[in-house]
Amino acid sequence: MRHKQSNQLNSWLDCVLSGLRNDEERVANIMGSTAKRWKKFTPLFLLMLPGLAYLIVNNYLPMFGMIIAFKDINFSKGILGSDWVGLKNFEYLFKTSDAFIITRNTILYNASFIVVNTIGAIGLAILLNEIRQKFFQRFYQSVIILPHLISMVVVSYLVYALLSSETGLINKTILPWFGAEPIAWYSSKEYWPYILTVVNIWKGIGYLSVVYLASIISIDPEYYEAATLDGATKWQQIRTITIPLIMPVITMMTLLAIGRIFYSDFGLFYQVPMDSGILSETTNVIDTYVYRALMNLGDIGMSSAAGVYQSIVGFVLVLLSNYAVRKFSKENALF
Amino acid sequence: MAYENKSVRWISHIALMGFSILCLIPFILLVMSSISSEESIIQNGYSFIPKHFSGKAYEYLWAHWGELGRAYGVTVFITVFGTAASLAMTTMLAYPMSRQDIPLKNFWALLVFFTLLFNGGLVPSYLIYTQVFEIKNTIWALIVPGLLMNGFYVLLVRTFFLTSVPPALIEAAQIDGAGEIKAFYKIVLPLSMPILATIGLFEAILYWNDWFNGMTYVTDPKLFSIQNILNRIISDIQFLSSNSNLSSAAAGEVAELPSTSVRMAIAVVGVLPILIAYPFFQKYFIKGITIGAVK
Amino acid sequence: MTRKHGWIGGLLAIPLLLAACSSNNGSNEAAGPNSGGSTSAASDGAGEPYELTMAYFTLGSVPKDQLLIQDELNKITKAKLNTTVKLLPISISTWQNQINLMLTSNEKLDLMPILGNTYANQVAKGQLVELDELLAKHGTGILEALGQDYASAAMINGKTYAVPSVRDLAQSYGFQIRKDLVDKYNLNLGQVKELEDLEPILKTIKDNEPNMIPLVNQAGGSPFSDTFSTRDSLGDDMGVLLNNGQDLKVVNWFETEEYAATLKLMREWYKAGYIGKDAVTNKESTSDQIKGGKGAGNLANMKPGYDVQESRQAGMPIVSVEMMPPVAKTSTVTNIMWGIAKNSDKPERALQFLNLMYTDKDIVNLLDWGIEGKHYVKVSDNVIDYPQGVTAGNVGYAGTGWLFGNQFLSYIFKGDDEQLWEKMKEFNTNAIKSKALGFTFDSTSVKTEFAAVSNVLSQYRLALECGALDPDKVLPEFIKKLKDAGIDKIIAEKQKQLDAWAAANGK
Repeated sequence: MRHKQSNQLNSWLDCVLSGLRNDEERVANIMGSTAKRWKKFTPLFLLMLPGLAYLIVNNYLPMFGMIIAFKDINFSKGILGSDWVGLKNFEYLFKTSDAFIITRNTILYNASFIVVNTIGAIGLAILLNEIRQKFFQRFYQSVIILPHLISMVVVSYLVYALLSSETGLINKTILPWFGAEPIAWYSSKEYWPYILTVVNIWKGIGYLSVVYLASIISIDPEYYEAATLDGATKWQQIRTITIPLIMPVITMMTLLAIGRIFYSDFGLFYQVPMDSGILSETTNVIDTYVYRALMNLGDIGMSSAAGVYQSIVGFVLVLLSNYAVRKFSKENALF
Repeated sequence: MAYENKSVRWISHIALMGFSILCLIPFILLVMSSISSEESIIQNGYSFIPKHFSGKAYEYLWAHWGELGRAYGVTVFITVFGTAASLAMTTMLAYPMSRQDIPLKNFWALLVFFTLLFNGGLVPSYLIYTQVFEIKNTIWALIVPGLLMNGFYVLLVRTFFLTSVPPALIEAAQIDGAGEIKAFYKIVLPLSMPILATIGLFEAILYWNDWFNGMTYVTDPKLFSIQNILNRIISDIQFLSSNSNLSSAAAGEVAELPSTSVRMAIAVVGVLPILIAYPFFQKYFIKGITIGAVK
Repeated sequence: MTRKHGWIGGLLAIPLLLAACSSNNGSNEAAGPNSGGSTSAASDGAGEPYELTMAYFTLGSVPKDQLLIQDELNKITKAKLNTTVKLLPISISTWQNQINLMLTSNEKLDLMPILGNTYANQVAKGQLVELDELLAKHGTGILEALGQDYASAAMINGKTYAVPSVRDLAQSYGFQIRKDLVDKYNLNLGQVKELEDLEPILKTIKDNEPNMIPLVNQAGGSPFSDTFSTRDSLGDDMGVLLNNGQDLKVVNWFETEEYAATLKLMREWYKAGYIGKDAVTNKESTSDQIKGGKGAGNLANMKPGYDVQESRQAGMPIVSVEMMPPVAKTSTVTNIMWGIAKNSDKPERALQFLNLMYTDKDIVNLLDWGIEGKHYVKVSDNVIDYPQGVTAGNVGYAGTGWLFGNQFLSYIFKGDDEQLWEKMKEFNTNAIKSKALGFTFDSTSVKTEFAAVSNVLSQYRLALECGALDPDKVLPEFIKKLKDAGIDKIIAEKQKQLDAWAAANGK
């Protein structure tokens, strides 16, 4: 079996490096006409049924709830009987002087998170792949997902332990070491883009790297062996084998992240800055703005409107990005 | 080459060890503050070596949960069952989608992807699950809503199938007489152990940590999972501390609520089981990963 | 395009669901919240059995012996009203969400507590049943227990949709501090009348106790607490009445001289170290800070029995001095009320039970304290204590006295003042009553501005009031942002509603 695989995989290597189009054609030819294809796929369609059923019930049916964003819900009349109010529920998102700030913050943070986290996670995965001793493999793998398991609320306490004005580790121990003055961290907004990015990396890349590690591990070691024989350095190998072969995964993860570019990790932007109003200009994002606005109003129409707004922007951006990706390499696009 | 390999290995170890320490330190801080006395936390903040030790936080937790055993049972059940079910559903949907020759290939991808971007909100989901399916206060409420299958994982698995399962292999199997389904579980699945292990791990963590379904759909204490209980306590504390007009009326009750060290203990108790169980499952994970490499 | 098919498929399934929803809503509409009182009253007089669902909020966790309490309660209600009550505890942090969900999906829900700041919105959204007729017929006990002034304090557009629970319905205001510090430094509390008078005391603490913060604040609240001043916040502080509400002109509190002066004082105190540098991000309660030895004293809302309560919480003796007389405003009354959900099938039965919560001593104490012998024992006629072996830490049930109906019927716990309820009653009766008591602002027409102003407040208010920012520079900025967010529009709308209400009520 291994021998047979070897031959086929070698030919597969060529295909992969020049696009999967050849493969597609070959297979399609074997499959035959369209009608035959549908019939042939019946068992596979059956396989998809449970998943599709779940998608419909769990995701598609509830989408009718998006009409809540356009209505003034009166509980006596029910969702359907309530009045339509057009875009009124969306006003509060734009009529504020902060509309620009929250949008800017949301986009900038997410864009930098995507770039930094992706590079970090891939890097971590590559490093992990180099470890040979079983004990260390297990040790590192266990430890790096630790941050992901701790909830943001607790993370905010831990950050506070570092940055508190009077009792924080930095002000009390580290800065005096360097002879510097204590800084009022929770009152100085300029540091927070960096602080939040660092916290986000710390919490996310261990978990993210597992995905990339799984992909990297599946790369046939024969490629590396061949490359080593040809005299390629580690760095060259990474550049020409590893990255290209996991590119589909990278592209997919990035496209998905772009789709969620208007959403933020609420815990990160609300809990970690300890809800300090002074930091608003650099820590307020769409989700925290909505939360603060609706805390005393409890208006489900307005919160639904925020969700619709975030969804539509994300959707448009993904369509655009996917289109761009298609131009470069068709097989990597999501659809 | 050998020299380069060695230095690469060293660099990897140093970098990884450094990062591991960064991950461990806050966790150690967490554990330390859960055994600090309340006074030393209030006066000096959280520290690695507390001024006064106190087991009070854990005493409080122990006294407050006769139902500890039951909550853990609930959590373990939904994690095991949920992870198995969701792995099955996810792979069964992702595999056909990954075939290059499937009709309407792009349509399925968009169908799944769309669900990641648009979402009707909690209200309609609640309506459907409680009025149409009537799962409120049943164990299904903890397994089905939102967690049973996630479009993100479906797409991830699909991409993995796409890149790691050569169609030629499947083709060969079919020439040998195997049906589609047989090809699926005899060839595709074993080849995909790494990604299955990964998604399985993610799903397990999601189920273990979930408190949202419990908060929303369950009011019967017999069905509370560990995270549900823990989260209720912490959220209530948070809510009261940001709602001052209520907290002045409720001042008596607010004072009875768990203090800082107890909150830390709560967080530790929520995370520890995973950490203890993980090494046992890791051998499947590593095995899975290395099997894939040796194929 | 093939892409759209999936979407349409999903859409086709919707009508099925909508039909289900609308038939539910339809049948309820026929019954109708307002007609419920008159049409079913006759049939209900016969007292057919009914299961009432009463939701209420819990803080932290559901008590262990919850079901036992429910069983005991049902014994009483079955005998008196042929009704069983299902207790539905809900965590307070998800309260609003859960109630919205239950109301939208028409779940079985009869009675529920109302938190003041969401009251007007809930009425505007049609979540509550109108109570006036029901109160007249079945709620005389409630009206009597509250008294005329307070019974009509929760009217919106001339109709009552909720009734306040009977407890401390007014608030006085003052300063409290650890007794041992008062004794140690011979602090003169008697001369404290204004905020400035506190300075010598704070300075003494600061100079002599280097590790202690003289004036601490509640988590998320400012040092001078949210209601210190003679203003009636009218619920949300976006437009207030000055002079304890004796003056019916709505003004922008943040533009007043009183506010600017207080901010200046807080700034000096912050710089002098009387207020902690971490005040803005503080997440501890004042009693925890005092208990932990970090804080000396704080400003607080007071009521009769406050010293005893605080001392118990802080684990050491606390003394206080009252700086402002008790005032009753709408917000002090409406912050905890009871209402009937529009989902209720038998609103009259719900009100009858509510009436019992205001008049029946057995029911009140069952809900407040638990079962006699198991959760408490009687020490004298009206005073109770824990049974042997039971402590506050392991008691199987603890209720919230200020929630369940009439707190004045509740037993007194050992250590509290035995005359507590008499004093509380006097406190309520003699309080200065704001002229706007009874007026609740409906923000639906200005909800966009409300949302924007909420955000500005969360950005500036706490930091300014803790003295962390320089008011000379930042206060004008704050005021400008408020105006940009539309606070003037809110104030104008509020004045309009207030004037209309005042005219209708002969004020």
